[in-house]
Amino acid sequence: MNPILRISALWARHALWLGAAVLLALAALGAGIALMGVSGRYLAAALFGITLAVPLALQFTGLARVVLRYFERIVGHEAIFRALADLRVWMFRGLAASAAGGLGYRRAGDALTRLVNDVDTLDGLFLRIFVPGLSALILTPVLGWFLWQEHGLALAALAPFLLVAFYMPLRAAQAAQQNAGKAGLAMAGLRSTALDALQGLREVKIFEAEGRMLAAVQAREAAHLAAQRELIARSSTLNAQSFLAAQAAILTAILLGFLGTPIPALVAVLVLIAAFETVLGLPRAGVLYGQCAAAAARVVHAAEAPSPVPDPAVPSPMPSRNAIAFEHVSFRYAPDRPYVFENFSLQLPQASRTAILGPSGAGKSTIAALLLKLIAPESGHIRLGGTDISLLPAEAVRHRIAYLGQTTHLFADTIRNNLLLGDPTADDEKLWAALEAAQLAEAINALPDGLDSWLGEGGATLSGGQGRRLALARTLLMDAPILLLDEPCAGLDAATEQEFFKVLNTAAEGRTMLLILHRLTGGENLDRIWRLTGGTLISAAG
Amino acid sequence: MDDSAEPLGNDEHAAKPRRGNPWIKAEQRLGLAAARWAMVLGAVLNLAAIAQAACAAALLGSMLHIWSGGWRVLLAVLGFAAAAGLRAYVQMLAEREGFELGAAARRRLRGSVLSTLLALGPAGLRGKHSADLAATAIDRVEAMDGFHGRWIPATAQAIIGPALIGVAAFYADWRAGLTLIIAGLFVPFAMAVAGIGASVAAKKQFLAMTRLQIRFLDRIRGISTLVLAGRANDEAAALAQAAAELRQRTMRVLRVAFLSSTALDLAAAAALVIIVLRFSAVLHGNLALAPTALFLVLLTPEFFAPLRAFSAVYADRMAVEAVAEDFQALPAPPLPVPPVNIRSVAAHGVTLSFERVTYAWGGQKPVLENLIFKVGRGEILLLTGASGSGKSTIMDLILGFLTPDSGLVSINGAPLETLVPAARTKMLGWIGQKPVIFAGSIEDNIRFGRPEASETQLADAIRHAHLTELIASLPQGLKTPLGEGGFGVSGGQAQRIAIARAFLKDAPLLLLDEPTAHLDPVVERDVLESLRHLAIGRTVVLATHSTMAMDFAKTIGAKRLDLDALRYASWRSEVV
Repeated sequence: MNPILRISALWARHALWLGAAVLLALAALGAGIALMGVSGRYLAAALFGITLAVPLALQFTGLARVVLRYFERIVGHEAIFRALADLRVWMFRGLAASAAGGLGYRRAGDALTRLVNDVDTLDGLFLRIFVPGLSALILTPVLGWFLWQEHGLALAALAPFLLVAFYMPLRAAQAAQQNAGKAGLAMAGLRSTALDALQGLREVKIFEAEGRMLAAVQAREAAHLAAQRELIARSSTLNAQSFLAAQAAILTAILLGFLGTPIPALVAVLVLIAAFETVLGLPRAGVLYGQCAAAAARVVHAAEAPSPVPDPAVPSPMPSRNAIAFEHVSFRYAPDRPYVFENFSLQLPQASRTAILGPSGAGKSTIAALLLKLIAPESGHIRLGGTDISLLPAEAVRHRIAYLGQTTHLFADTIRNNLLLGDPTADDEKLWAALEAAQLAEAINALPDGLDSWLGEGGATLSGGQGRRLALARTLLMDAPILLLDEPCAGLDAATEQEFFKVLNTAAEGRTMLLILHRLTGGENLDRIWRLTGGTLISAAG
Repeated sequence: MDDSAEPLGNDEHAAKPRRGNPWIKAEQRLGLAAARWAMVLGAVLNLAAIAQAACAAALLGSMLHIWSGGWRVLLAVLGFAAAAGLRAYVQMLAEREGFELGAAARRRLRGSVLSTLLALGPAGLRGKHSADLAATAIDRVEAMDGFHGRWIPATAQAIIGPALIGVAAFYADWRAGLTLIIAGLFVPFAMAVAGIGASVAAKKQFLAMTRLQIRFLDRIRGISTLVLAGRANDEAAALAQAAAELRQRTMRVLRVAFLSSTALDLAAAAALVIIVLRFSAVLHGNLALAPTALFLVLLTPEFFAPLRAFSAVYADRMAVEAVAEDFQALPAPPLPVPPVNIRSVAAHGVTLSFERVTYAWGGQKPVLENLIFKVGRGEILLLTGASGSGKSTIMDLILGFLTPDSGLVSINGAPLETLVPAARTKMLGWIGQKPVIFAGSIEDNIRFGRPEASETQLADAIRHAHLTELIASLPQGLKTPLGEGGFGVSGGQAQRIAIARAFLKDAPLLLLDEPTAHLDPVVERDVLESLRHLAIGRTVVLATHSTMAMDFAKTIGAKRLDLDALRYASWRSEVV
């Protein structure tokens, strides 16, 4: 299905609002055309000494145009706000159900930003493309009638009108679509080069590469601007051609008036001028359409991507126990990539405490992803309480697991709302207890608004270590029988780390716990310790 | 997460509408100065429009059999065609010129933002996220395009256009001209009246809208956290509700704000009606007036077109409000070092010394207090201590990213800040925990250390860093692309690339900041072996808390400085 149509289909719910907006737009356009027509008729009649009872019509159409335009704007915006809100929610749900659940692992923040920008691009689809396009369509026979009144041959002026209203926008859309790939690539290049320079600022300074990096960014910027310039060159040419076509039509209509009857001729010419005023913006809308089409394709593709780990059609009942077993599991991220695990086995008995140690990149986080059903093993089984998790719905499995990942996100919201994500029903007392456990209560208490302090984007008001601890407190609030903590102590100094493990040892009482760490500190109270190297586990102690 | 009205509606979070933000004012001045040619093009367009309307009026006059005369008709046709052709061409130029204005402004802003960020370096930007900085350098700069490319030319045009056309109308018929001019002046007046209520609210609403977009982006970025916490459905509902509330509030503002566009429509319609009625009264029998009447009817839409264009780019102006604060929040670039004191020191055999150095991070308790140590030429200093004990601060002080609050850091007896920055960086080699791999080939990444290095030097560096095997195993060899979208190197491989960079740079003072912190024991041993080669003949500072790295340092005769011991029991001197 054409992505633009797919998006439009989503808006069917708002058909009433959108329809009203279109009708008002058409009525306003009609009033504008009528105003020009009535003015011409009145002037021409006056010239010939005929008195028409026109003034009232003149004032009426003038006023109608003003009022209708106002309501067109109001209703149009109301409609598009509704439609866009739906589009956002639809995309959010789509991403949540599909691959995006695992996006945290791929650190695809940048790709997501682009996707969100794409949704914003689509807001022009209705008001700037659909409504004017439809107006032009309906205008065509009306204009034909006026020209016919002037002279049969004047219908020739309809040809340039059709050219400007339909053919030129098509050409512009094609140009924009051809350009979209190049422009997108250039922008992505610019973005990643700038990000490279800023992420590697330390290296850049030490190797005196400031000049080189700046030059690299500017080269990408030049490519980006060149791609845009190319489109501007084509679209401005199309606009100029459209303008010329319009003027040629007007001139033709005027000259044909010499053959026809004067009064309808004057009316037709003025109506033609008003009509062209409406459609001269359409080639620009064509460019926008070309850009929208590319954006819509990306949005639909992302939102409707299939889930990488589809839920079973007939799920098994949830097991009552919470032991976990990996049995001969093999996994790799793609068929052409090396195996992360081959024939990997691990037993986590109910209420046991296990740690897996290993350097980054050894595949520790992959264990968590497998368990959370973000990815599925190529072969082997992962069992929860004896049942293969591939037979269980992902949401129910995740509901059993309180998980703290390395890329756990802190939301631009209050500290309270960030915590409530762990347990929406928690009262203040419970929140403070969790903060206490995460060694963060003191710091939050010191903030002027306490729990209601606003956290910037990505947790900007807290330091990196404090942010980690807030995420930890959120995880501790989750009342799940399995605790899965991926580097919970990142950002804690040695003394607080010891304190934290004391608290954790109580919090984990009776729960099945898996800790993923790169080293031990000694405070952990563990049953088993494994070291992960080369995709296999070696018992380290315990 | 519970929802929303709060962040969006809360006025505290909305930027206070300020009269004349100085940054925007400065941008506006720059924009106006750059837009002179665009203004000339605009004026030419208006003059051509006037000429074309005159020719069209003359032709319509003839058509109505008011005056005949073939050559006059021919002249009018030619005039019409010439004016239309000129307009088409100039319009195209103006459109391209608008793009160039926006492009030039983006180049200027991006260049200045990036130069500032690069000059500030990692210490100056501490606590700022590189992705956010990149957003300023990329997206926020892009957001300034409309302001320079469209809004500024449209502003100028909104004054020049109606003025020129108004004068022409006045010249043709003073009553009609006056009507247009009064109607034209009514527009800004009515906009201001409608705006008194709406503009402040509209600005706030625009920011709220931007904030909803940011919130949406934030939730999408954290979508995996939401999904894993089982809260995706709740959040979707909350997003829908927040959007609905925002829509209701926004519409309340827009109902007033759109009155200013309506004022424009009203003025245009009223002017047309008045002009038509004014002429109809005198036209009866007075055929000579007809071309003038038609001229003015045709001129009326032209008169209002620049005003319409101006109100159409309102969003471009508003977009600036949303980004101005981020530009203003960028720290000022550091002052250039005064040229008088600058000098360089002999680059071979470096002695590094800290003399009673104290440093505190922004008003906190000092991390380093009266620290004294000295590393002689060719010696190795092992820095140990828990994280937060000041190892990285010492590194940053040596690198010149930080300046001590008191005391002196000197190289070969010369205080660091008196050295030419370029000479100082030439003396320094550095390997951190996680080297940054840039988008580019392996060769580009190694040559990053010294782009002008010869093939032999490059080959030597690769050999010493034990990269030969890896490169041989890759089908594209040295040209294998790395970084985003390229071949993903492991932690150990990245570290070897960093070692190769350091070999290539061949600096006499080598700083190793936890170089093996993220490596497997097997890989760590191997990397340390490469570092041993690299350390020969250089003055080295090695910060680590890996036992293997400490043992390694002992085998090559390092002195040790334990920052924990310093902190808890004044300082222990194995060093000075």
